[in-house]
Amino acid sequence: MIDPIYALIIFFAVLIVVLVLFFPGKGIITRWKKIKSQTSRVLIEDALKHLYDCEFKNLDCSLNSLTGNLTLRADQTASVISNLESMGLVTSTGNKISLTSEGRSYALRVVRIHRLWERYLADNTSVSETEWHTIAEEREHETTDEDANRLAARLGNPLVDPHGDPIPNADGEILVKQGITLNNLEEGKYARIIHIEDEPKEVYAQLTAQGLYPGMQIYVLQSSKGKIRFEADGEECVLAPVLASNLTVVPFTEKESVQESFENLSSLETDGAATIIGISNAMRGQQRRRMLDFGIVPGTVVHTRLRSLKGDPAAYEVRGALIALRKNQSDLIHIKKIKEN
Amino acid sequence: MVTPDSNCANCPAHNSANLVKLGIDMSNFDYVVALAGNPNTGKSTVFNALTGLKQHTGNWPGKTVGRAEGAFQYSDKRYKIVDLPGTYSLLSTSTDEEIARDFILFGQPDVTIIVVDASRLERNLNLALQVLEITDRAVLCLNLIDEAKRHHISVDDRLLSKSLGIPVVPTAARQNVGIQDLLKNIHEVATGKYICKPYRMKSEIKNVSHAVEDLNKELEVRFPNLANTRWIALRLLEGDQRVIDAVRSGEIGSLTPVETENE
Amino acid sequence: MNNVEEIIQKANKYRWDIGENLHDSILESIYTDAARIADKAVTREGGKQKFDWDRWIDKLVTGRWTGFPIMFLLLVIVFWLTISGANVPSAMIASLLVDTVHPLLKDGANFLHFPWWLSGVLIDGAYLALAWVISVMLPPMAIFFPMFTLLEDFGYLPRVAFNMDNLYRRVGAHGKQALTMSMGFGCNAAGVIAARIIDSPRERIIAIITNNFSLCNGRWPTQILIATIFIGGAVPSFLAGVTSAAAVMIVAVLGVVFSLVVSWALSRSVLKGEASAFSLELPPYRPPRFLQTLYTSLIDRTLMVLWRAVVFAAPAGVAIWLVSNVTIANVSLAEYFIKWTDPYAMIIGLNGVIILAYIIAIPANEIVIPTVLMLTVLTTKVAGFGAGAGVMFEMDSVSDTAALLHTGGWSVLTGINLMLFSLLHNPCSTTIYTIYKETKSMKWTLISTFLPIAMGIVICFLVAQFWRLFA
Repeated sequence: MIDPIYALIIFFAVLIVVLVLFFPGKGIITRWKKIKSQTSRVLIEDALKHLYDCEFKNLDCSLNSLTGNLTLRADQTASVISNLESMGLVTSTGNKISLTSEGRSYALRVVRIHRLWERYLADNTSVSETEWHTIAEEREHETTDEDANRLAARLGNPLVDPHGDPIPNADGEILVKQGITLNNLEEGKYARIIHIEDEPKEVYAQLTAQGLYPGMQIYVLQSSKGKIRFEADGEECVLAPVLASNLTVVPFTEKESVQESFENLSSLETDGAATIIGISNAMRGQQRRRMLDFGIVPGTVVHTRLRSLKGDPAAYEVRGALIALRKNQSDLIHIKKIKEN
Repeated sequence: MVTPDSNCANCPAHNSANLVKLGIDMSNFDYVVALAGNPNTGKSTVFNALTGLKQHTGNWPGKTVGRAEGAFQYSDKRYKIVDLPGTYSLLSTSTDEEIARDFILFGQPDVTIIVVDASRLERNLNLALQVLEITDRAVLCLNLIDEAKRHHISVDDRLLSKSLGIPVVPTAARQNVGIQDLLKNIHEVATGKYICKPYRMKSEIKNVSHAVEDLNKELEVRFPNLANTRWIALRLLEGDQRVIDAVRSGEIGSLTPVETENE
Repeated sequence: MNNVEEIIQKANKYRWDIGENLHDSILESIYTDAARIADKAVTREGGKQKFDWDRWIDKLVTGRWTGFPIMFLLLVIVFWLTISGANVPSAMIASLLVDTVHPLLKDGANFLHFPWWLSGVLIDGAYLALAWVISVMLPPMAIFFPMFTLLEDFGYLPRVAFNMDNLYRRVGAHGKQALTMSMGFGCNAAGVIAARIIDSPRERIIAIITNNFSLCNGRWPTQILIATIFIGGAVPSFLAGVTSAAAVMIVAVLGVVFSLVVSWALSRSVLKGEASAFSLELPPYRPPRFLQTLYTSLIDRTLMVLWRAVVFAAPAGVAIWLVSNVTIANVSLAEYFIKWTDPYAMIIGLNGVIILAYIIAIPANEIVIPTVLMLTVLTTKVAGFGAGAGVMFEMDSVSDTAALLHTGGWSVLTGINLMLFSLLHNPCSTTIYTIYKETKSMKWTLISTFLPIAMGIVICFLVAQFWRLFA
């Protein structure tokens, strides 16, 4: 019989080795895979994507910015560029690198696949929003065009990714929506968020931490050099102008009606009644459709009927049926309370 | 729009080829009936009441999975009945809803029974109206009428039938109430004695009326036999790939049985 | 000429202008129409609203002070009725099939001059395994499932899900998992099928994978017997009953804890890729229909599960008989295997007999104890127990069973680890097959099979080492 001390030592040694090798995200195996995946194809596609991004934002793209984006040494980037040039995908004049039309359509293809994956992850999985980009970054290089088309079909051919970026269609056509960045919106104006820039990651994380997402109604309370104070769906937020420039908004036209009430269904007291105003865009995919199927559409009258022990979930009477919703769902349903006399 | 084959009383109206594609064995049957409805409306009870306990669905209570099939006979016609999964809608992307939608749209059953809960009519009509968008022949089974009575809710089935353009039969399937009447109505719709004039959505949909009208016009020219081009237009605008493919391949156009018109 | 492609192109152009919220608008307009039509047809009798029973029951069964006690009470009643109600019929079926019919069949086979191996394979192997599975499985299921179905029919079960959801939400699961879990206490295969009621993909797979952590009715007898012998036997006799009952309860509760922990881990790792869309409708209460319920639950649940078990049990019986009767150089295959695995099994505090029993008894947990006893006799060569190689048996007297197991070299540690291993090992083959049918996925079937067994080995190993260190 093996001595228990030794047995335990061996056990924990094996455990540590397994953890070091396979720990999700940080294990040696994942790192090794990441390094191995930096093939020339991945580099080419990432470079094209970056160039397209610069072009889209009307910025000049240089060797330096590309080096930073690809996390490579300058000489490696240079060889990637010359590679691209020989393939006829880019041209460089002096310090400026720009896409040829083939290069642009290749880039759009990669962008399409990337955004489709992000949309898939947002709608059809429970992956958290901070991981969408990273996972899509990996998958975009492994997806064939047919797979991408199948993915698009399955998602109902979506038009925008969860950050509000338009998804190019299979022919490489892309819609450009005009908007202004939040720091350029005047005080006292209403607008709607149409896009949140998801790079760099750190900035995106700060914006999502404030609970911001495309579709929100913005009202600027104060806009100065130091800070921008605004209401997003009724919640007050403060951002530095640098951060605010990562939000693209479209000012309201005359016709558009301003939503005044941003009370949530979760705040409706037991036996209280309210009219649904809308479902927040943060509720996506299947979850959103399920709510609509239950009859939770603008104009529906709901009553809170039951609360479970901790108040979550609570049951609501919706068009004659009793539906239990979790707080994280009822938080995303906007209502206007009905005063009962 | 008038259903082209509605006055063909003797010919088997079902579209056999499409049904066989969906895995339905149609030999020995005159008509095929689909059973649709929200969960918790007693749909399986209706199925059992129509087919008898011998063919009871064998499903987990509360959840029909996939398709269950049964048979019944009424006035010397043999009916095959297909119990579709209980769904709240036909528009979403879940597998269940796809099974139900594809069966009604592409299988073209001779009659679709829509089971609704009489005490929750408004909410159940969501599915009923969606079904009526994609089929011309349906019967509304106003089930759980006893429960509605208990809750002091009464439903005017005649008025409802007039609004929806299809027969409406109040039933209490648990007590076997109204089942004979339901059978009679199924038979009348299947044989073309009752001509449905299904209700089609009227309320304007925000921002899209222009696009829908435009596409609708084009689709009508291209598929003159299609009963509800407006619905197809809406599906195209929603990017529904199954419908896009069907339009592209012409499958949509072959759905309305044209041949009966030529006979 | 108007071309199909052009129409589709045109539609796609329009889509850019219309944007993403079309689906919302369509449903809004359908509901507008639905409301208009319903308003015309429906009249609610005005005047004073009569007493609303549904609301009253709901307040009671989900209430702050009443909800959980009612739930607990009903659970206890269901289990008590199942256990106490099943004992007598189980014993009757066993005495009929095992003690009466089995010898008769043997006599018949002798009379017809069956070769010994044929009557061994068919009667001692296949028949006996069947007899065991039926007698242990049928009565509790025939009582448990109808009661469960009645509560379901009445509309109470969704309220349980409502009460329990807060706990399950924290581990990334659905409140309805409380129901599939309780169903699993009856039979894991039935619990796996019951997971159909969960319509969110991620939560449903979690419920399926973790169902095996509910101690099913094939495993309760093992737990009770082993606890009585080894835990009850280790304390003063006046505490024996309480202690062994507590030990069984601890194992069952441990199962629930494991199911929560595993749910939590799964929802944050492999199942991140599955969609999660919570929805729970609380249907109105309806008076249950006793006869139909009895009929359908008997046909759908009891007989279906029993049939699957029978299909798997018969070949297992054959395998059990063969491994203990096919010999090489006068030593049976079973003995070779046991001798070979014994040293490894010892490391995790079990023994070769248990390992072999669990491998050939994959089809049904019910035959683990009879197989263990038979194999123990086979390897220790003690006389006076059982009816020969390959013939499973159980003993009426717990002290005789204890004596036999002690002869087989079992210690308290073996007992404890057997209880743990009985909780944490692969699901029975009926359940594995059902998981495959329900998920249609090899991946989830393999995970559900090997995850618990890996956990079982690790936990038995740790318990064994610490036991040896400190005891």
